[in-house]
Amino acid sequence: MSLLSARLALGWLIGGEWRAHPARLALTAVAIAIGVALGFAVHLVNGSALSSFEGALRSVNGRADVQVNATTPFGFDEALYARVATATGVADASPVVVLRATAGTARFTLLGLDVIRAAQVTPSLIGIAPAGVDRRTDAAFDGQALFLSSAALRVLRVRPGDALTVAANGKATQLRVAGALPGVAEGQAIGVVDIATVQWRFGRLGRLDRIDVKQADGTSTAALTAILPRDATIGTSASDATRSDALSRAYRVNLDMLALVALLTGGFLVFSAQSLSVARRLRAFALIRTLGLPRNGIIATVALEGLAIGLIGSSLGLLLGYAVAYAALTRFGGDLGAGYFADGSVRLAFAPAAAVGFFLLGVFAAVAGSVLPARIAARVAPAAALRNAGDMIDPRTPVPWIPAAALIAVGGVAAQLPAIGGLPIFGFASMALILAGGIAGMPWLARTVLAPLARRSGRSVASDLAIHHLHGAPGQAATALCGIVASTALMIAMAVMVTSFRGAVDEWLGQILSDDLYLRVEGSSGFDPAAQAVLRATPGVAGIAFSRQVPLTLSADRPPVTLIARPVDARFVLLDKADRLPAGTIPIWLSEPAARLYNWKVGATVTLPLAGRYAVAGIWRDYARQQGAIVMRETDYSKATGDRTRTEAAITLQPGADPVRVEQALTARTPRGLARFVSIARPATLRRYALELFDRSFAVTYLLEGVAVLVGLAGVAATMSAQTIARTREFGMLRHIGVSKRQIVAMLASEGALLGLVGGIAGIALGGIMAQVLVHVINPQSFNWTMATRVPWGIVASVAGALVIAAAGTATLAGRRAIAADAVRMVREDW
Amino acid sequence: MHDDALLRVSSLAKSVPGGRELFRGLDLIARPGQLIAIVGESGVGKSTLLNILAGLDRPDAGQVAIEGVGLETLDEAALTRLRATRVGFVFQAFHVLPYLTLRQNIALPLALVSADRRSITARADAMLERVGLGTRGGGYARDLSGGELQRVAIARALVHRPAIILADEPTGNLDPETAAKILALFSTAVRENGVAAIIVTHSEAAAAIADIVLTLTATGLERRA
Amino acid sequence: MPYPFTRRFKRLSTGLLAAAAVTLTAATPAATDYPTVRPGARFVFPREHGAHPAFRTEWWYVTGRLETREKRDLGFQITFFRTTPKTDPANPSKFAPKQILFAHAALSDPSVGHLLHGERAARAGFGLAQARIGDTDVSLRDWRIRRLADGRFVATVKTPEFALALTLTPRQPPLLEGKDGYSQKGPLPEQASYYYSVPHLAVSGSLTRKGTAQPVTGQAWLDREWSSDYLGGGAVGWDWTGLNLDDGGALMAFRIRGPGGRQIWAGGSFRRADGRVVRFAPGDVRFAALKRWRSPRTGAVYPVAQRLSIRLPEGVRRLDLNPLFADQELDARRSGMPVYWEGAVRTPGGSGYLELTGYADPLRM
Repeated sequence: MSLLSARLALGWLIGGEWRAHPARLALTAVAIAIGVALGFAVHLVNGSALSSFEGALRSVNGRADVQVNATTPFGFDEALYARVATATGVADASPVVVLRATAGTARFTLLGLDVIRAAQVTPSLIGIAPAGVDRRTDAAFDGQALFLSSAALRVLRVRPGDALTVAANGKATQLRVAGALPGVAEGQAIGVVDIATVQWRFGRLGRLDRIDVKQADGTSTAALTAILPRDATIGTSASDATRSDALSRAYRVNLDMLALVALLTGGFLVFSAQSLSVARRLRAFALIRTLGLPRNGIIATVALEGLAIGLIGSSLGLLLGYAVAYAALTRFGGDLGAGYFADGSVRLAFAPAAAVGFFLLGVFAAVAGSVLPARIAARVAPAAALRNAGDMIDPRTPVPWIPAAALIAVGGVAAQLPAIGGLPIFGFASMALILAGGIAGMPWLARTVLAPLARRSGRSVASDLAIHHLHGAPGQAATALCGIVASTALMIAMAVMVTSFRGAVDEWLGQILSDDLYLRVEGSSGFDPAAQAVLRATPGVAGIAFSRQVPLTLSADRPPVTLIARPVDARFVLLDKADRLPAGTIPIWLSEPAARLYNWKVGATVTLPLAGRYAVAGIWRDYARQQGAIVMRETDYSKATGDRTRTEAAITLQPGADPVRVEQALTARTPRGLARFVSIARPATLRRYALELFDRSFAVTYLLEGVAVLVGLAGVAATMSAQTIARTREFGMLRHIGVSKRQIVAMLASEGALLGLVGGIAGIALGGIMAQVLVHVINPQSFNWTMATRVPWGIVASVAGALVIAAAGTATLAGRRAIAADAVRMVREDW
Repeated sequence: MHDDALLRVSSLAKSVPGGRELFRGLDLIARPGQLIAIVGESGVGKSTLLNILAGLDRPDAGQVAIEGVGLETLDEAALTRLRATRVGFVFQAFHVLPYLTLRQNIALPLALVSADRRSITARADAMLERVGLGTRGGGYARDLSGGELQRVAIARALVHRPAIILADEPTGNLDPETAAKILALFSTAVRENGVAAIIVTHSEAAAAIADIVLTLTATGLERRA
Repeated sequence: MPYPFTRRFKRLSTGLLAAAAVTLTAATPAATDYPTVRPGARFVFPREHGAHPAFRTEWWYVTGRLETREKRDLGFQITFFRTTPKTDPANPSKFAPKQILFAHAALSDPSVGHLLHGERAARAGFGLAQARIGDTDVSLRDWRIRRLADGRFVATVKTPEFALALTLTPRQPPLLEGKDGYSQKGPLPEQASYYYSVPHLAVSGSLTRKGTAQPVTGQAWLDREWSSDYLGGGAVGWDWTGLNLDDGGALMAFRIRGPGGRQIWAGGSFRRADGRVVRFAPGDVRFAALKRWRSPRTGAVYPVAQRLSIRLPEGVRRLDLNPLFADQELDARRSGMPVYWEGAVRTPGGSGYLELTGYADPLRM
């Protein structure tokens, strides 16, 4: 008799179960749906953000084969253009000046191009004017003509023919909007002006930021590389992609992992729901096996149920995920508030492969969660099961603990392994192993924790019964526990990590915000020495330390580091410092991420794309710039770059000076053209702002965490109610022998509370271990910064409390419903 | 030996896992239309015997043959098929699945081997008619009394025209009046269908309808006059 | 051949600079900043061979015939354009577009059946593109035309499909077109250019195709023209031809067509073998189609064979111009050029080039 010929009977059994318990099956489907939805949504958002970001890069780059890029915002000498244009393998070369420009309050990327060259190398960067605009001039070489992408036209609220004052590099000039840039992707704010105009009007004479290169077929960039000076690097579309990927990869992978955790929790929920469903139906299965259903028929039945749950849940999850991704993109932006992709809007890109992947993952989780308990059920002898009133519980059966310990041990070893390709793969594996080990150890833990309680008696009947039930059937308890433990552990791990991180950031903010006022110029302009002198002489100012931050490209396939020119004094807190530096070197101080990313040690001599020899004098803590930062003495910086402009200032007030009045005085003394871009803040404001930013970037983390916990709690609720219902007959018996309804409810509440407590303790302990992996392995490997562990005791306590209450509450509710019927019926109840 | 024996048991022996012997040298023959009651004290092994006859348990020694087929020659899949096609069961707890209709419950043995919904339904309805529940096919277990549930169980045991029916304390959960009606129905059904029925019971009323009453003791089955 | 060049140059700029979006085909701005072309200028050589950057546009335009060693007959065209856009003279940037250079080259091979062509464009500067004042030396990256001290011109061009390295040896003095080089282009006197031709240039050099160089010889025609304001209104296209006659004579004729093929203006000159020159008034030149060819690409119908009638003192002379092959249409729209027909032609007793524009699309003024 094959399963095929029994399909009608299988259909009846599955259909009957679904008709009988639609809510429970719906709940498991919803759990899968949530897991799939989160995974898919996070993936979609990340993918969309990345492709939008790459799209933005490509838009600005105009899809050139190869680019010669300046390593600093000061560009390189334009003479390089002639050398690149005539280099071997170069078919054509297009010189470009790139500036961050503002017009009114809107910002856009201003490209200075030679239209003739760009037409050959980067045709997408040149526009077509709508008919009717001046047809009687040499607009192609018209120095006033500004071509804007549609996004720029929108944000600037201008139309072809309008005049527009554009500011960049601290200078402003009036241009005329001559037309659109139809080749530029939607959402990218780009303006194009003749290169000569940009050099002249925005103070960039003699400098270029980029040369776009069209390569002759089948040539390499070797000839180009050979002629490049220090302040230029070669970029290809591949290195661009690597760079934009590197920008946020660790963050994205972390989010993906969290999303998978949610899916995993969903799988646990299916497992616990199906375990109980199977336990409840053991006798039904025994009956039909007696009647002639083969052993694998039971597995097939439950697997089919799981498949149906998986198909429904996954389909729902994909829809939900798409909706969530859409909402998240609209609400938070492509980096989900983390601040990685500042420019350009993000458009949701559907990912069919990912959709299929997450769908299958969801189905797999549901089927696996079903097949495991079904296999156990199929092993039960039908005759025994038929006669038995419930599970065969033998409190003397030993509970294995070795597999759990082995899993945790392997997890511990995995945590010691280094990152792969900048990703903490082993770190995540370690967390997964520890989690799996923890869950596998649940029966043993339940037994161990409850054994002393079970030996003592003499409390109330209710708590005695509760303890004995849990102690005697630790497997059953573990089923209920695994959801709780998994979600609690993850929540605690994340909470500890975030708390540690936030605490470290807070402390660090205290270190760096030691002055009284901070002044900053937005955009690429700044204070020249004269303006600095004026500000320095402001009444009430005791000292003013000017600084400058510029991006510095150290490697073509990594995002630029931030070069910070500032006075370096004793207040500069260092993690590590060199005893002495090689003679003739200029000292630089690396941020922790910079040191880790480029693997530079203190005392080492390093090459920067700036004139001079440099040596690492020290390493400082920085949580602000994940891509790394380098501090250089202001004076050294001016010597190396000739740049005397400063964009930031830290101000020490004279004793008794009124910060508000000094602030006003400083604003008044700011050069007129800059006043609009200058902001002054006090340390408290900055600190609050920084922490707000921090919280925003972790908002999605919190959200995912919360959902994982909700799924976990839903699992607890489902488990508790299912177990309660499965024990109806037991309750009937207890009522017969004189246990009151109230005592039964109290027993269930105690059981629930005990479960919650055991699960909570285990989850918190496990979470604590996993937090160590997060803090000391995954964080340094992903983000290249270290921190000390800080435990959020308040959160830990409230999680434990919430679990106990939730478990007890759902158990009580289920219990009330279960004992609503009269005792006689409960005992007689056939099933 | 008669060729028409539906069930032939010879030299059967079985001990519990602890080592206590339940029975040894047990012989039994059941012919079409024959109703055999097995009585005995609790723990003597009546249910174990029934499980062995159903192929759900294996004897330590001896043979069981249903329609001449020795169960010891069959693997698990063949045993399962044999149960689905040649054996019917009636339990003390009626084991009527609460989430299936009565018609589906009765048709379950048929549905395990065939997907022909129409003929299955027709046979289930005919059985419902036979056990006096002709109009209740679309109902559920919770609508029925214990006696009615056992009628459903009897219908389920007969629906696939088995060779033998194994009944374990079929009236154990019923009041005497209902039990009498069920036993009458059971006995009529067995005789009309020409099956052999083995009833394991404590009930004298149940034993009374049997053609042969056997007492299970440690040494085997003893015929009671 | 002023109009074709003007036209073509302007279209070239427009196409390349689609970005800029401004159709330069529109009349040039009131040329107040540019010198006006007036009659009576005195040409001084070699100064006039060099660039005249004050004028808005200028070109060095070589057309001719090539013969391979296997006696295969080919046509070629090498053109360098220069233009001076209106820009802010105060801009100190080295990228300031004070001069823009363009170049174009095409090869007519009957066995190919269509034109092979390539082009270059750049703003002058950085040693990558420049046009010398004082004598011919115009270069655009690896393309160059220059005049050697001995008077010979050397031209090199490279395209993905062919490369030419030619030496052009003058055998006749320059022919000043119009009135001593003042060539009127329309009904208004300021619609004019300075224009001289060097016919009967002896060609030697090499043609490289598919990586193989072969020696070639032939005969060419150089046109030099500069101006600031050419075009009157109403023209949709033009026909132009320059012919080296076997007896040593040289003939240039053009007409400007208005809507419906109406002739708006015409002109040209004929230098007899003995050096005497006949100049044509608009009424002295007539083009009549002998054979038309429809382009399968653009659907344009070109009068690829024409009967040119010129009025000479001794009477009207008719020359039938027959193309080397029909499909010498230049469809370079992809690189922003207009579609026109530019082909090598034979005539009994001579050979040269015929240029037909405005047939694919009426050109808007």
